[in-house]
Amino acid sequence: MKYLVRAVVLGIIGYAVGVGLTMAIRGGGPTDEVAVVMGYILALVGWLAGIGGIEAFGRQWAGKSVEVSTDRGWRRYFEFSVDHKVIGIQYGVTLIAVLLIGGISAMIMRIELASPGVGIVDLDDFNKIVSMHGILMVAVAVAGIIGAFGNYIIPIQIGAQDMAFPRLNAIGFWLVPPVAIALLMSPLLGAFNAGWTSYAPLSVTNESGQILFNMAIVTFGMSSILGGINIITTVITMRAPGMTWGRLPIFTWAGLATSVLSFAVTQFFAAAVILVTMDRVAGTNFFQPEVGSSLLYEHIFWFYSHPAVYIMVLPGFGVILEVVTTFARKPLFAYKAVVVSLFAIVGLSVVVWAHHMFTSGMANFLHGPFMIITEAISIPTGVIFLGILGTLWQGKLWFRTPLVIAFGWLFNFTIGGITGIFLADVATDIHLHDTYFVVAHFHYTIVGGSIFALLAAVFYWFPKITGRMYNEKAGSIFGIWVTVFFNLTFIPLFWAGMNGMNRRIGDYPEVFEGANKFASVSALILGTSFLLFVGNLLYSAIWGPKVGPNPWNARTLEWMIPSPPPEHNFTSQPVVIGNPYAYGVKGSVHAYFPDDDNPRDIGEGGTSDEQGVLV
Amino acid sequence: MRRSWIPVVILWIAYTVLIVWATAQFTWFPKEWAREAAVVDEAMLLLQYLAAPVMALVLAVMTWSVIGWRTEGGAHREDAAPVRTNKIVVTTWLVVTSALAMYVLINPGFVGLAEIRGEPSSDYVISLQGQQFFWEVTYPNGATAVDELVIPAEARVRYDVISTDVLHSFWIPAFRIKIDALPGITTTAYATAEGEGSFEDDVNLRIQCAELCGAGHANMSLPVRVVSDAEWNEYIEVLADSEPDGEAGNE
Repeated sequence: MKYLVRAVVLGIIGYAVGVGLTMAIRGGGPTDEVAVVMGYILALVGWLAGIGGIEAFGRQWAGKSVEVSTDRGWRRYFEFSVDHKVIGIQYGVTLIAVLLIGGISAMIMRIELASPGVGIVDLDDFNKIVSMHGILMVAVAVAGIIGAFGNYIIPIQIGAQDMAFPRLNAIGFWLVPPVAIALLMSPLLGAFNAGWTSYAPLSVTNESGQILFNMAIVTFGMSSILGGINIITTVITMRAPGMTWGRLPIFTWAGLATSVLSFAVTQFFAAAVILVTMDRVAGTNFFQPEVGSSLLYEHIFWFYSHPAVYIMVLPGFGVILEVVTTFARKPLFAYKAVVVSLFAIVGLSVVVWAHHMFTSGMANFLHGPFMIITEAISIPTGVIFLGILGTLWQGKLWFRTPLVIAFGWLFNFTIGGITGIFLADVATDIHLHDTYFVVAHFHYTIVGGSIFALLAAVFYWFPKITGRMYNEKAGSIFGIWVTVFFNLTFIPLFWAGMNGMNRRIGDYPEVFEGANKFASVSALILGTSFLLFVGNLLYSAIWGPKVGPNPWNARTLEWMIPSPPPEHNFTSQPVVIGNPYAYGVKGSVHAYFPDDDNPRDIGEGGTSDEQGVLV
Repeated sequence: MRRSWIPVVILWIAYTVLIVWATAQFTWFPKEWAREAAVVDEAMLLLQYLAAPVMALVLAVMTWSVIGWRTEGGAHREDAAPVRTNKIVVTTWLVVTSALAMYVLINPGFVGLAEIRGEPSSDYVISLQGQQFFWEVTYPNGATAVDELVIPAEARVRYDVISTDVLHSFWIPAFRIKIDALPGITTTAYATAEGEGSFEDDVNLRIQCAELCGAGHANMSLPVRVVSDAEWNEYIEVLADSEPDGEAGNE
């Protein structure tokens, strides 16, 4: 805990030094944007040093030995821990907290939108809340699954004891709290009202909260890139003997594909906001009309932000595919085609960005090519669906909460994907762009595709992580409740968009009141379902029935170790000798532990029978 | 081996029919007030019909999963058949989805794009200047207005759009046309209005700013009135005459 205190103290000192130096050199006040930028940078350095950077890196740079914490209690979750499992939980809890804060902002928005006219917030404040909601939720969608479960599960699934770069992994996580702090403190400087998309010139001329938004984006981007490097290196170099590429679990494949993307394109969002910051404080003119171009911002921004949605959804594909094979007790259908499709999506996703710009005033000749490739990306996405449907086909289905939520996912993402075609088509997009049709579409794909998968992952791996089972009835009820009310919230919004209601407005023509009221009531009921979600998990983590290594009778490596896993995951080297999804093949084994006396009695947390199943 | 494909195909057909029927019943588009609107609505409808079997397939598999493939036994239930892949299924799937994607790309993709753009010629040119938070209209004779946009029916009008500050967007929902207003660069949209009417008849006969531009974004709209060609010419003449120096607007 003392490290957290030290991090805060050094952060504050860093901020003060940055602001003070700036004021001393150029004059001006402490809330000048230049001062805020310098203060933020030094605050970040102070924070990272304080939380453990000094021990983990500073000592090494000074020629001394590295010191990292070996605490095993609850305190390590508030410290610079290099254990990937601790980091995974840190990401998970932090991002679920961010999800709930973003959810509260959504509730405020929906209460305001339940009636036309100005209600509980004025129009400008409404835009600020919309912008905050957007960026908080984008952060959860981008990092939720890959940060929490990518870190926790991937090393175990490939038979490794940790990630390739454990200290970097910890830095990656500890970059995230400053992001939340910067965003949530931005109202002190006037907040930011240009949407999470922050188009220039509005983002160059609006209030100073925009600066903190820009700093937060760069910080979060660094975390994404470091995480990407770590996962790529780990999966390539640290697979257990016998873990050939053809035996890699699909969740790990999805994590690898995601990491290639996040490593390659995240810097463009950072670049865009850095240029905005420079236009604000350094007198540059990147986005000013006479010498620069507002279109330039859009191109740079969307060059990241379109692949970003695949960064959001690819881990989701991985989770759903993993859940479906386990709960159907069937091999993953068309495994090779699915893996190829994951990477086809990675490749295509970087050349479709301007489908967000069909009405932007960009050159007409760009419409055709971007429409073509956007259409094309639906083909590998369809193959992912084939993998899911083909695995379900004639499977032995066991409807536990992860599968219930996976079904909600399937319904939602199909609608999300189909409505994407309406937007890929230039003629229809011209009308639908910037309307509630788009809002409904991306909620179906991002919430329906990424967040629902996050929920499924939470229930699927909860017993592994906590060693206890959640309450199944509460879980299934939650799964159905969240699916039903999610749909009731967003279906009316397709209608509203088509019929002339545009985005990011706190007030609308009266004709849209009915649809909005219905959506608002549904949204509030949807929101309350998360009380059941959190309640179930908290209660079960403390008082739930204990489980053994493999309550689902699954086959991937994480189910062959105790629940919760021991410190370095494996007590002896796993050797992979078969496919992880060879259900139905008598005597097939995915991996074993040749150095153990009794390879399947893995102790701590419960004993197992022949198949490693809880008895 | 259980013949699962029979019930699934039956469900597939049933769901497809249901969705197609619902699509035909429920006309959920606003009234078409321009030639362009018809292009867009037709494209929307075609895509909805094409989407029906796709949605229906997923629904059919989901439905039969719950009815036909649920298994007792929990964690100790038996394994399913070890089907890793099926070359015919995968190939067929790829061929069908690619064909569907290609078809949609051509129609309503490129066909719709060509139709909504139309010819780069126009009967009249009207300029729109967007600024935080109102629109200023300039007619071909130099007359300006900020209280409404008046358009001649049955004439192809080119809208030249520009912004004086941040990004805005020129959108007339009733026409289904939209083009962003950029500072320093003039952008263009074409529309041929059909039928006479005004904002009082249909709330979608308005310019609505469709790009977040600040606090007043929600209310940055302008009513639209479509009148006959003769009436329009008279209107803009009267407007020009009533301006003191024929330059700035009346506000």
